[in-house]
Amino acid sequence: MTGALLRVTRAASPALLLRGGGGGALLIWALLTPGFLSRLSLLSMLSAISFVGCVTVGMGFITISGNIMSLALGATVSAASVVFMASLGAGLVPAVLIALLFGAAITAAQGVVVGYFRANAILVSIAALTLILGIAAHLTGGERIYPGGDGFAFFKGRIWMLPFETWLFAGCALAGQAILSFTRIGRDIIMTGSNREAARTVGVDVPIAVIAAYAIAGATSALAGILLAARYGSGDMDIGGGYEYRAIAAVLVGGIAIRGGAGSVLRGCAGVVVITVIEMVLRLRGYGEEWQYLITGLVLLGVVMAQSEGTRR
Amino acid sequence: MMALCRNAFARDLRPYTLLGIVIVIVGVIDHGTGFFFRGATLFSIMQIFATYGLVSLAVGLSLLVREFDISVAGMVSLAGAVAVLAGARDPWLGVGLALLVGLVGGAAQGLIITRLGLGSVGVTLGGLLSFQGLTYVLTGNQSISFDHVELALALNAPIGVVLSVRSMIVIAAFVLAAVVMQFSRVGRDILATGGDRRASTMAGVNTGGIVFGVFAASGLLCALSGVVLSYGLAAASPAALSDVLAPAAAGAIIGGVSVVGGRGRPAGIAAGVLVLCVLRSGLNAAGASADMLDIATGLVLLLIAVLDAPELARRLTEWRLHRRGA
Repeated sequence: MTGALLRVTRAASPALLLRGGGGGALLIWALLTPGFLSRLSLLSMLSAISFVGCVTVGMGFITISGNIMSLALGATVSAASVVFMASLGAGLVPAVLIALLFGAAITAAQGVVVGYFRANAILVSIAALTLILGIAAHLTGGERIYPGGDGFAFFKGRIWMLPFETWLFAGCALAGQAILSFTRIGRDIIMTGSNREAARTVGVDVPIAVIAAYAIAGATSALAGILLAARYGSGDMDIGGGYEYRAIAAVLVGGIAIRGGAGSVLRGCAGVVVITVIEMVLRLRGYGEEWQYLITGLVLLGVVMAQSEGTRR
Repeated sequence: MMALCRNAFARDLRPYTLLGIVIVIVGVIDHGTGFFFRGATLFSIMQIFATYGLVSLAVGLSLLVREFDISVAGMVSLAGAVAVLAGARDPWLGVGLALLVGLVGGAAQGLIITRLGLGSVGVTLGGLLSFQGLTYVLTGNQSISFDHVELALALNAPIGVVLSVRSMIVIAAFVLAAVVMQFSRVGRDILATGGDRRASTMAGVNTGGIVFGVFAASGLLCALSGVVLSYGLAAASPAALSDVLAPAAAGAIIGGVSVVGGRGRPAGIAAGVLVLCVLRSGLNAAGASADMLDIATGLVLLLIAVLDAPELARRLTEWRLHRRGA
């Protein structure tokens, strides 16, 4: 009994208190906002959570693998939306598969360089971002891409009250959590992020683990691209702009450690909910889009600072 | 001959070698039209240099101490907006306030990083979004024009065919940085901190102070860059984040700054930025679109990220042995 109590008190670290207190305050603030519980705002939040959430699941894998983030995931979302729309002529299922494979491949390529050669992950992702934007602009000429076929209409529908994308996001999050918790590659990714040298010593194939984390990130980002393209009926290179920042913010707000090796996909999802609720409350209270960056940045800064205990060497 | 080649591609000389190669390639492609070797082209190269140089220097400084300041893009936008808004009546007030914002913003990040023992990427990511958000809030998310058009003209007016006040300010900052790095104790301490922080601390270097100072300097350099840019354009507009970070990092890395810290020089960074400027000007002359420059920048960044990767040599040896064994 006392032992359990002690554990609880010990678990209530400043970071946890901050998180609990912050979450509670946010909830009260949200509920006091007129229109927050309206059907329209709830549905629009569900959609936003689903789009950002898919990217967050992937970003979480990169963070947990010890490589902080890829700045290229937003561009990957956009590029996948274009690829999906352009290949719809081949049918819906092939188009989805092509887009997912495309996202996984271009992101796994970053993982190859980071995993095998231990290249600087941030630098590699900046290079990938520049390459994706440059090549896409060259190929599309900056044009919006309209569907080469139909069959994605049901993407816009609802199943049991919830938007279609929410179901896919839920599936994506559960699958991600299952991979992380119950598969060997998931364990390898966590061990690699926790201590690369130790992981190598106990026989983890570190490069493969890093590549897997990046490939998963690319696939989930592509899923977000597909969902966004289906929602807007076209694909373009601006569709995923800023998603990389919202996703990393969600990852850190949810409590995934920025140094890697700890955290879960579901924590990232909790972070997405928090970020999206903040955005929605700001919008309902009449603050324009320009405030969202600032608030997201300050929240991110605060959360990173709150992680300092665990990061101090 | 081999030795000469190897020396030319050694890190310290690499930026100058690359610059020479790029100039020769652009000159050959351009040969006959005489476009490239005209004064106007050199002038435009230096104007591009003035746009990216200081941000590259800022990123390079942070890489020298084995950190990564990714907030630079946000600070350039923020300082530009502050300068234009506060300088409406008195441009010097705008300059002073913008530089103060840069110094304080950079110092705050440096303080958080050194005091809390945090990784610089996370902290400066928060800084990047906060600075960018503050810019959006200040400008109401739109481009703000600056009434002192005469100032913009004066900043950009050619001086001695190739230079302008704008590029001379940037060159002066580079010279100052080079002198500090080369001849002062701070310069040596910066390199030592980046090379091996623990050993430097043991040897009596105030590594915390050095890292703090580097981030403050980075903020100041970005602010100066933002002021010069927005006054030169007679406008401040929130730039897309990726438009600044990629060329800035590329310039520093091409300039011989090692991502594992402790190596690099301001003169090398200047040469690295010039490589990109010549490339852009050459591609323009060849009629290629801006996309090609993005692709070239991305490829070069990727290539150097691989070449500088700590485990590249080991992997290559492994694969060679493996093939021999098979």
